[in-house]
Amino acid sequence: MNFVAVLLMLLAGTYWVAVLEDWVSTGRFRPAGPVLSGLALLGRESLVPRKPDRIFFEVAPALLLVSAVLAAAVLPLAPGLILADLATGALFVNAALAYVMVALLMAGWGPDGAYAMVGGFRFLGQLVAYSMLIVMPITAVAMRSESLLTTEIVTSQASLWNVVYQPLGFVLFLLAAMAVAFLPPFDLPTAPGELAGGVEAEYTGWRLAVMRLGRAVLVLTVALAATVFYLGGWLGPVLPPWAWSASKTLAVAAAMLFVGRYVPRLREADVLAWCWKYGIPLALLNIFYVGVVILGVA
Amino acid sequence: MGAFGLAAAWFGVVVFRTSSMVRSALALLFSMAAIGGMFLAMEAEFLGVLQLMMMATEMAIMAIFMVMYMMDPGGLSGMDMTHQKRASLAAGALGALGALAVAVLADWGPIEARVPAATAQVRELGIEIMERSMLIFETAGVTILTAMIAATAIAIQSRRR
Amino acid sequence: MATLTVALVVGAVLFGIGLYGALSQTNLVMIMMGVELMLGAAMVNLVAFWRFLHPEVYAGQMFVLIVMTVMALEMTVGFGIATGRFRAKGSVEMEEAQDLKG
Repeated sequence: MNFVAVLLMLLAGTYWVAVLEDWVSTGRFRPAGPVLSGLALLGRESLVPRKPDRIFFEVAPALLLVSAVLAAAVLPLAPGLILADLATGALFVNAALAYVMVALLMAGWGPDGAYAMVGGFRFLGQLVAYSMLIVMPITAVAMRSESLLTTEIVTSQASLWNVVYQPLGFVLFLLAAMAVAFLPPFDLPTAPGELAGGVEAEYTGWRLAVMRLGRAVLVLTVALAATVFYLGGWLGPVLPPWAWSASKTLAVAAAMLFVGRYVPRLREADVLAWCWKYGIPLALLNIFYVGVVILGVA
Repeated sequence: MGAFGLAAAWFGVVVFRTSSMVRSALALLFSMAAIGGMFLAMEAEFLGVLQLMMMATEMAIMAIFMVMYMMDPGGLSGMDMTHQKRASLAAGALGALGALAVAVLADWGPIEARVPAATAQVRELGIEIMERSMLIFETAGVTILTAMIAATAIAIQSRRR
Repeated sequence: MATLTVALVVGAVLFGIGLYGALSQTNLVMIMMGVELMLGAAMVNLVAFWRFLHPEVYAGQMFVLIVMTVMALEMTVGFGIATGRFRAKGSVEMEEAQDLKG
């Protein structure tokens, strides 16, 4: 029962993310937009390019979807509304998100196209930049909750949300989360207007639909992760817990989609340099600060 | 667990049988992921998840290096990239047989059926790292730093030219 | 008994495959993949020993962490050497590296 409820909620959230993305990129609010464009994609022929690496080409969209769903599976929507409450939940999120990169690498190599391959390898470089900025802020969060259980992480924020407790970690995590979901300004692997769609360039029809769905789930997942780790998850007065989770998650997703629209796309080299020269020292500083505060309180 | 083991061995074979380098690297990734699955099946949850996470990154980076440095990364011209085939086949078989013999013949003593819960495991492993094995762990950290500096020093282009 | 043997057999087979790969490949990167497989086999054995023989001793898990570190280090240094070699000679084929003999 719970299982179905969680899946339905994730599906509804994904739908809203798709509507929001459409809204910020076209400027028109169309609640039925995702359904129409999804149907349109399904109706089209799904071409297979010449000389593809067939296995990678077929597996990549599915792997993108599966890894995003797996990452969402360990994040709680409300007490009891969680697919798998793993003892290593906070680490599992990282593990699942790492396979997003594998999926994009496959999608880049598989179709035997220059734009796609450049996009895939760009995302690998992007991973080298952002992965530490995902892991290190989560480390600081786990330090406070003294547990890797995602539900424990939420309850540890009952007195004070982590966004106030460690704002530096929140900013870094949010930027890294945008890079994971390759939202603008970090949309290097797809880069519309420059790489002609990058990793998505060679996909058409239902395969593209699966890929777009996976991307939307991914955006929802990272927004949900930011909510759980920093915004107190389901905690909040009056409204039922799931409504708090849902509204916070959608707010984070909307913020991520909206901010990216007004920032120019960053260069690969700049992303790498800034992440390693400024991001990682700041993340270490965050860990140090949280450690000092925890020891001070205790 | 047997299924994960079979998958690990199968992908391990694929690594050296395919001629496409990206396939080979990703086959190694799936072999390693299957090993991570075995860890999960053996109820070492932390190690399993860690293995899944680290190997995804490691093997993808391996893939890009293979594409950079191999003469024929797509494997389209069917070059033979092996040497001393028979000797190494023999060595591999011998190694496997030796290990198999030990695995089957040795007396491993009583089997523990019970295992601590996953939450307790994470906690105890943390205490192990920060208490009894702290020096080892710190040494590993320093070694990583040394290796990073050494690798960068080797790989960087010399400025004198 | 059975599950421990299954794990050890998988470890043995992986070790054999890795050894074959490390010896038979001519390319540095492929040799490293063979070594990785052998280390993976070692990890399978270590986790099996921890789980089925001494689940209360966490040094076993610690050992696996160290092996993972070794894998990462091996990759770092190996790719560093590969990059240097590729810069100098334009290939990482091991049969062409005879000139490194003293």
